[in-house]
Amino acid sequence: MKLKKGSFLWYLYLDKLYCLLSVRNVKALVDYFHLLDVHRKNTLNDILFYHFLNHVTDLKRKQITTVFNMLDWNAEGEIGFDQFYMLVCILLAQENHLGEQFIFRHSRPVFELLDVNGELKIGPANFHTYNFLFNIRKQQLRELCRNFDISGDRHINYKEFKLFTIFSMDKYQERQKAKREKKEKALIKKKVSRQVNESPRVSHGINGSESLSSYNF
Amino acid sequence: MEEKPLKAKSLGRHVSGKSSEPDIRNLWTTATLSQPKLNVPLPSVPEDSELKGSSISGKTHGWYKQKAASHYSDSSWKEMDDKDSFKPEQDVHRRSSLGNHIEEGDDDIRTKAEKPSSGSSLSISKHTPHRAYWVEQQNRLPLPLTELMENEALEILTKALWSYRSGIGRDHFLTKQLQRYIERLQRRQNKRLHVSVH
Repeated sequence: MKLKKGSFLWYLYLDKLYCLLSVRNVKALVDYFHLLDVHRKNTLNDILFYHFLNHVTDLKRKQITTVFNMLDWNAEGEIGFDQFYMLVCILLAQENHLGEQFIFRHSRPVFELLDVNGELKIGPANFHTYNFLFNIRKQQLRELCRNFDISGDRHINYKEFKLFTIFSMDKYQERQKAKREKKEKALIKKKVSRQVNESPRVSHGINGSESLSSYNF
Repeated sequence: MEEKPLKAKSLGRHVSGKSSEPDIRNLWTTATLSQPKLNVPLPSVPEDSELKGSSISGKTHGWYKQKAASHYSDSSWKEMDDKDSFKPEQDVHRRSSLGNHIEEGDDDIRTKAEKPSSGSSLSISKHTPHRAYWVEQQNRLPLPLTELMENEALEILTKALWSYRSGIGRDHFLTKQLQRYIERLQRRQNKRLHVSVH
């Protein structure tokens, strides 16, 4: 899932620590929501919602319908601002590669979204259905079902899900650390190679000046 | 110098997205800048703003004093200082009495058709955009962002209108409501474009 470049949402950003919008961004979002709220009900119906998502993302019709059904948790056929805000945060988290942090920070609301049937547990099917939105990789899913299904019922309850998010977050931080170390090493190597390249030039320069001076009468 | 604080309407509390009157964009229009009589009252500063009314008018008065003090007699300045509220109508009348001595601002700002005989519009053009910018920063989203939002909303709603027409028909009240809304947005957009061109 990608946001359309230059769209309004593309200019918003999440706080990297809490994965939420700032007050200024929320104000902008409120105004945007009210621009789309044509019928003055503080909601968006399915048609308006579809055209909005279709315009700002590359999601297909079926995926948009899935998202709408997921967010319409009261089964009213309309999306209010709370759900709209949640969706925007999810979209921005995906766009800015903050998916793991977002799920870690907001594990409860994410779990409740995935638990479409209200059974207080989610299975592999739930993850498959919403994979385009939360971007949980296959390997992670396998790990989740294998290592975190403590109760053994082939479904994940909230506590097991929370453990999984903590584990994913740890792994993510390790990966980031490894990336940073790699970058630093590469930078150091570059610096060293530059210094090595420069030193022969310097010696040539000295030799050159000596030879020139020999021509100065 | 006593200055009454500007009216403190709670513009900042308007989270509903409805445009509160008067519209800040009126402060930016060159048409209003060049007219000798401005009918658009300036938007008030909210109570919780950092800028209290006295400080805004104090700042603008202070700036104005610096620019024109060398050219005018004390009597005209006293007349200005005594007037408490900083309303554009009064301000224009004050400035019109000062004549053509204030020469500043770009000529591009003035429209040829509406160029007044006095140089009052130039001083307004120097004043009002700064003030409009300042008030906007306190209460509203920046204009480019607002424009982007409206353009995007218009595109989305136009597509939605086609869906409404094909789904529920042209005569359904929801379709008509959407159509009227789109027309209103388009008129607002055209007005803004028209103003920016001139």
